[in-house]
Amino acid sequence: MNVLETENITKTFQEGSESVEVLKGISLSVARGEVVALEGRSGSGKTTFLSIAGCILTPSGGRLAIAGQAMDMGNARELASARRRSIGFVFQQFNLFPALTARENVEFALNMKGRKDASARREAEAMLDRVGLADRREFLPRDLSGGQKQRVAIARALAGGPPLILADEPTANLDSHVGEQILGLFRELAKRDNRGLMIVTHDAKVRAIADRVAHIEDGRILTGDG
Amino acid sequence: MVDLALKTLLFDRLRFFITVSGVAFAVTLVFVQAGLFAGILGNASVTVRNLDAELWITPKNTANVDFANTFPESYLDRVRSVPGVARADNLIVYFMFMTLPSGARESVEVYAMENFRRWGFPWHVLEGDLDDLKRGPYIFMDNSATRRFGPFAVGDYREVQDTRLEIVGRTADALSFTTTPLVFMDYGQAQRMNADMLKGRTSYVVVKLAAGADPGQVRAEIHRRLPYNDVFTRAEWGDRSEAYWIESTGIGLNMYLTVFLGVLVGVVVVTQTLYTSTMEHLREYGTVKAIGGGNADIYRIIGKQAVIAAVLGYAIGAAMAWGVGALVEKSGLHMALTPTMLAVVFAGALALCLAAALVSFRKVAHIDPAMVFRG
Repeated sequence: MNVLETENITKTFQEGSESVEVLKGISLSVARGEVVALEGRSGSGKTTFLSIAGCILTPSGGRLAIAGQAMDMGNARELASARRRSIGFVFQQFNLFPALTARENVEFALNMKGRKDASARREAEAMLDRVGLADRREFLPRDLSGGQKQRVAIARALAGGPPLILADEPTANLDSHVGEQILGLFRELAKRDNRGLMIVTHDAKVRAIADRVAHIEDGRILTGDG
Repeated sequence: MVDLALKTLLFDRLRFFITVSGVAFAVTLVFVQAGLFAGILGNASVTVRNLDAELWITPKNTANVDFANTFPESYLDRVRSVPGVARADNLIVYFMFMTLPSGARESVEVYAMENFRRWGFPWHVLEGDLDDLKRGPYIFMDNSATRRFGPFAVGDYREVQDTRLEIVGRTADALSFTTTPLVFMDYGQAQRMNADMLKGRTSYVVVKLAAGADPGQVRAEIHRRLPYNDVFTRAEWGDRSEAYWIESTGIGLNMYLTVFLGVLVGVVVVTQTLYTSTMEHLREYGTVKAIGGGNADIYRIIGKQAVIAAVLGYAIGAAMAWGVGALVEKSGLHMALTPTMLAVVFAGALALCLAAALVSFRKVAHIDPAMVFRG
């Protein structure tokens, strides 16, 4: 079963009086337990596609389904609900809340998903244990290394059990060794939990852990469609 | 549940301190100004509100209790015969000169009645027996005179209108808006000391109504019998005395202006710090949206921060105002902090902080969650 399905996605931005077509009909799917790498140069449209796949940006045309459910892209409430329920994000800049500890960062994400009882705390702690941060739970982000921050971000993305994880350049701010560790962790978690994982990157190392590589150029998928 | 609002607020302690200080400063300013205003204004009517009379008969068009003309004291008989009047007495309020032991001359405001005790007036006697006033050239003097005239004691003598009078009692809290110290003496004594102006004349007739009497009817009948006088209820006369000072001096405008400036300072500080904080946390709010939160979740975070700033700022501001009030009391002024004022300022502090948060709400409403993907 596909956790992400896009069909003929287009996106046009208006820049002054000019229309710029960033995505020109992208069809791509990610199955459960599959790791897909989406490669492309800067400006190729990969982050725009990631935003649409993550129900954050509305496409100009095309069809999007998350975990088997077709999205009404004009319905902001439905998109927010899909983000809460079905998608976990890992960002290039980590985007952790600096005032919250590692555990609180993960727990807050669960709170946003509607989990506001003590079970949220227990799950946050379990997630941090899984990414190897059991001894860093109560550390603030400023006291963590880049790799540790990204592990917290991964724990946050996994919390609540979303079937689809979208990662935007997750190794861009990490040194080579740590980047490899993080990618290994990604693959392990995706396979063990049977989640679909799409990693947008231009880091060649991602190829090593991906089941499939899709290449995006000038708003079109060149290889790895489907 | 993780309290992102509180954690973020406390994370940047300097900004938090500035925000709370802004509210506290505004609250202190409003309390001090409004409290002093209420305290000073209260002096303008304190004697009216504490004398046990329901109706005051005054000379026509008298502006306030301190500046009364006079009318024939025989009007009292007409008042006493009105059905519904339990008792009525003449009351003289008149400025006289007191010669101090130093030789200096100062004004005093004399309240003179035949029987103070039955009017419960003055209401706060510290020393002495009010009945002694009937027995000769004696006076009670309010404690507030100490500041202006220097220390005095029961048994001391003072000259008023060149008449030597013995101080036989002390009162407290009997004040005038004019800050002129109050002196109490027998009605006949006051008339003898100013025979040219007061012989056979009075400033007011004060009236105590019989149980069950209709104040409106009694008042109408008094007015019918004394068409060249005004008749006020106690509340009306007190309000009129206060209104005179608000309208005839700049005190009202000054108070409103300072309160406005205090509120303005508070709004500007809180708006600016909340807005700057919002701008600095835009990426975090974008993340909240990306992980499934909505504008309402972010409004709650910013709104809660505003409420925390308001409550804490209010508490600190009220405590500071209380401290200022204690200092002010030492200088002879009274700062009135009434429960109504406390409630109104609290509601105002909350409202101004939430209003300040609205500016941030507008910014948040337009956050593009896709910003979280930008490097």
